Amino acid sequence: MGAPAVTLHVLGSLRTYCGGAAQLPLSAPTVRAALDELERNQSALYRNICDETGAVRRHLNVFVNADNVRDLDGIDTRLTPGDVVTILPAVSGG
Amino acid sequence: MADRVILTIGTRKGVFVAEAAKARRSFALRGPFGPGVPVYATLVDTRGTPRLYASSCNPFFGMKVLRSTNLGKSFQETKAAPAFPSDDGRALANIWSLEPGDGKKELWCGVEPAALFRSHDAGDSWEMVPGISNHEHARQWQPGNGGLCLHTIIRDGSRVHLGISTGGHYLSEDGGGTFRASNQGVGAGFQPDPYPEFGQCVHKIARHDDAPGRLYMQNHGGWAEWTGPGGPRPDIGVLRSDDYGRSWRSIAKGLPSDFGFPIVVHPHDADTAYVMPLEPSTRTCPGGAPAVWRSENGGESWSRLARGLPKKQTYFTVLRDAMDVDRLKVPALYFGTTTGQLWIGRDGGEKWDCLFDSLPPIHNVKVAVV
Repeated sequence: MGAPAVTLHVLGSLRTYCGGAAQLPLSAPTVRAALDELERNQSALYRNICDETGAVRRHLNVFVNADNVRDLDGIDTRLTPGDVVTILPAVSGG
Repeated sequence: MADRVILTIGTRKGVFVAEAAKARRSFALRGPFGPGVPVYATLVDTRGTPRLYASSCNPFFGMKVLRSTNLGKSFQETKAAPAFPSDDGRALANIWSLEPGDGKKELWCGVEPAALFRSHDAGDSWEMVPGISNHEHARQWQPGNGGLCLHTIIRDGSRVHLGISTGGHYLSEDGGGTFRASNQGVGAGFQPDPYPEFGQCVHKIARHDDAPGRLYMQNHGGWAEWTGPGGPRPDIGVLRSDDYGRSWRSIAKGLPSDFGFPIVVHPHDADTAYVMPLEPSTRTCPGGAPAVWRSENGGESWSRLARGLPKKQTYFTVLRDAMDVDRLKVPALYFGTTTGQLWIGRDGGEKWDCLFDSLPPIHNVKVAVV
């Protein structure tokens, strides 16, 4: 059985780095695997999400459906078919 | 085509470009480009067809380098930005300096955490310069209030001078292959030993092309009232070297404060330098009355240049890269403030006018005649 098919929702300001796509289909068992797939196939988008150490950038939050992965298992959170992964900037002002 | 004066203005909310005829009566403003994203480094690159560069330091999505080939009518991202090797463990936090290298396309770039990168293709790819980035001191440098930044790159043939806050002054004499700390006479008021080998909070270094042995430094001063071990340290803020940066001596006497960020050298006179003294505790204009101070004798004495500047109730800061001077026959100075004003000091700073008074907080001002 293959990795679950999930969808990455792409923030508007980042769509320029993935050919304008608002959503990207991914097949990944975990958030980490989804990011790995992005690194392989959407490297420009990946660089906006993860720094050169491979960590998700400090001021970004990763959600699986409605849950922030920090409240789950971080980027080792498991994905199931149909999940939507959303990456959003943390709330800030100024 | 008539000479034009091009200003790049890096702000907290993107980069602006201002253009004027060389009479500099009025400037037309374009931008912001990279809107909403802080810009700490810009470069007006006059080698061949002019190119403008700006760092775009997005706290959410990382660092970019922007490039314009039409004098700032539009900018595009270069194909890549500096990045540490994946096994290095450091992640780029900011881009603080962009300087031209050899040929028409080489660029040098200073970043935070303090490290140096080089591009051979006008910013489309970058390589880390290991001689300083992996220097044995590098993991011992500590960030100052502005971060651990490599903010000054001065190249002179095989010599390369770097300014790091807080790392100090580093000198290479083999084109950037190897570097050594070169801080004899450069004080560090914020620690018990005021003259360490390295770790000084250098704010900016400048020099004149025709006098490469002479360098000026605005260091982290403001320790004249220090009463702790070693006593007052009144003379560590503004310095000069006459031996290619091997040793430094104070030239702060006569200034209202030896604290400040930028230091600029007159384009046609190596004895003329400019600083912007600030109150050490608040980092704002002394007495609420801003002034640029000029020395015309290599720092032996200083005079106040404030005609046209506010006389009271003014409390901005001018950051390390927010002052520059053009290279016209009678040059003008420019500085940008943390309150978003861009000032021009005509006739070498004798008469000041505010060109723009409501920009975002200004980090960086660079000027060139193209």
